[in-house]
Amino acid sequence: MQVYLPIAELSMNLFFLVGIGGAVGFLSGLFGVGGGFLLTPLLIFSGVPSSVAVASVTGQVVAASTSGALSYYRRGQIDLHLALYLVLASILGSFVGVWIFGVLRAVGQLDLFISLGFLILLGFVGTLMMVEAVRSILKRRAGIVVREKLPNQHNWFHGLPFRVRFKKSRLYISVVPVLLLGFFIGIVGALLGIGGGFILVPALVYLLRVPGNMVIGTSLLQVVAMMAATTILHAVTSQSVDILLAFCLMVGGTVGAQFGASAGKYLRGEQLRALLALLVLAVAIRFGVSLILPPSNPFSTAVMGIGGAI
Amino acid sequence: MRRLLLAVMFGAMALPVAAEQLLTQVSSEEVAITSSFAGQTLTLFGTIAPEAGAEQKYVEGPYHVVVTVTGPLQKRLARKMSNQFGIWINTEQAVYEEFPSFYQVLSDAKLDTITNPITLAETAIPLDSPSIGKTSAPYPQSQLFRGELVKLMQRKGHYGLNEQGVNFRSDTFYFAQVALPSDAPPGPYIAHTYLFKDGEIIARKTNGFSVRKIGFERFLGLASRQQPLLYGLVCVVLAVFTGWLGGVVFRR
Repeated sequence: MQVYLPIAELSMNLFFLVGIGGAVGFLSGLFGVGGGFLLTPLLIFSGVPSSVAVASVTGQVVAASTSGALSYYRRGQIDLHLALYLVLASILGSFVGVWIFGVLRAVGQLDLFISLGFLILLGFVGTLMMVEAVRSILKRRAGIVVREKLPNQHNWFHGLPFRVRFKKSRLYISVVPVLLLGFFIGIVGALLGIGGGFILVPALVYLLRVPGNMVIGTSLLQVVAMMAATTILHAVTSQSVDILLAFCLMVGGTVGAQFGASAGKYLRGEQLRALLALLVLAVAIRFGVSLILPPSNPFSTAVMGIGGAI
Repeated sequence: MRRLLLAVMFGAMALPVAAEQLLTQVSSEEVAITSSFAGQTLTLFGTIAPEAGAEQKYVEGPYHVVVTVTGPLQKRLARKMSNQFGIWINTEQAVYEEFPSFYQVLSDAKLDTITNPITLAETAIPLDSPSIGKTSAPYPQSQLFRGELVKLMQRKGHYGLNEQGVNFRSDTFYFAQVALPSDAPPGPYIAHTYLFKDGEIIARKTNGFSVRKIGFERFLGLASRQQPLLYGLVCVVLAVFTGWLGGVVFRR
């Protein structure tokens, strides 16, 4: 069944849209990430203009993360105090990101930057996660009891000034690294059209030493708030949010996320992390290959400005 | 504008000798985009008749008809990648103002058998015509990028040449069908019809039609441009609501 998307100005199969929304939603429920880093490239390959794809996926990420965030909130697994600092910094960062987005588009290097950004970011995070996950799986096999890292094991930057007590996470650390992390994720999120969950989750675990039961809920809340702000920012600046496209993806995404979350119960933490690392690395390699291999057609084209009559 | 001026000039020159006139029509003057729009085929048809008031009461062929359909104009960018330091990046680009978003040429025979290359070049009919789009890029580059741009648009299905697209039903009655794809850009479209006899243009006619969104699609399109902040807020509310509903439904 074909459905016409009024902002993308083309018609697509309804079941295809709900289907990819559902598949990516399943993964996002499984790993506690937004799934934007998979959905945006998928839509672009299906012929949706890249600006519409990036902007509409932000809406879908809000929906996919909301149901997850709510269920973690009910279980009391969100550190609202920590999330507030992260959200404020990331909204500031997304303004900067949208500004950089405009500059890169004017220079004509947006595509290059998106590919390089995904390659470096996903490659780096994926490798780190993979090494860590494999190491803990091997230790478990060898019968060594893995002692969970205690929250009070601090790094040097935890002792920077402006220390704040985050009661729920049992942390008493400087807000400087928290704000910097939020700001960085805001920039990256607006530039690459991703929620940044796959950066935030490892950063909260390994850098800030947030306890494991608080990490995913806090990260999901941060993604909801930041992507809501980014959706509005995209709607105002580029006017390329397609509400029908976003809604089709949302419906699939929320259903898929529920199944993903229940499937996640049958896997152990380090196995989940290894799987997510594999997925992240696969996307990174895909972007790396597209940079190195000669393109099938060196020429490309784009419409400039907000085009098309109503 | 130049094309229009040319048309007027040629029209004025052709008037005293021409004994034929073209009567043309488009099957629908408004193509409505609804939620289930999946493209639409339009029929352009017409007949060749003696000029009103002419002494001649019948017309004699053989005639050839060429129809071009031009979509709304856009500002379009063409880019070329090259290999720098081992990676492929965009290094050259050219901007084209007033580049048609849609351009189809339909004829009843091969264009080079209908007329000579000089007349063809003057009409700006061919897909590689240098009058498609305006650019400030220097000469060899402007021509190269325009050619590649047309190829890209052809692959997308928005540009095309169909030399069997015009069918004559009698000596003087023809029809042509043009398929608008589902991603046809909304806006004003212009259909130019050229009547050829012995390799010369003896009459031309212009028809217009428009492609526009109606109903809910039009409402959404307008809202996203006129009330972007409200539109964005509604998107977020819809997303949060959908997520919440999903959670509630599946918890039971």
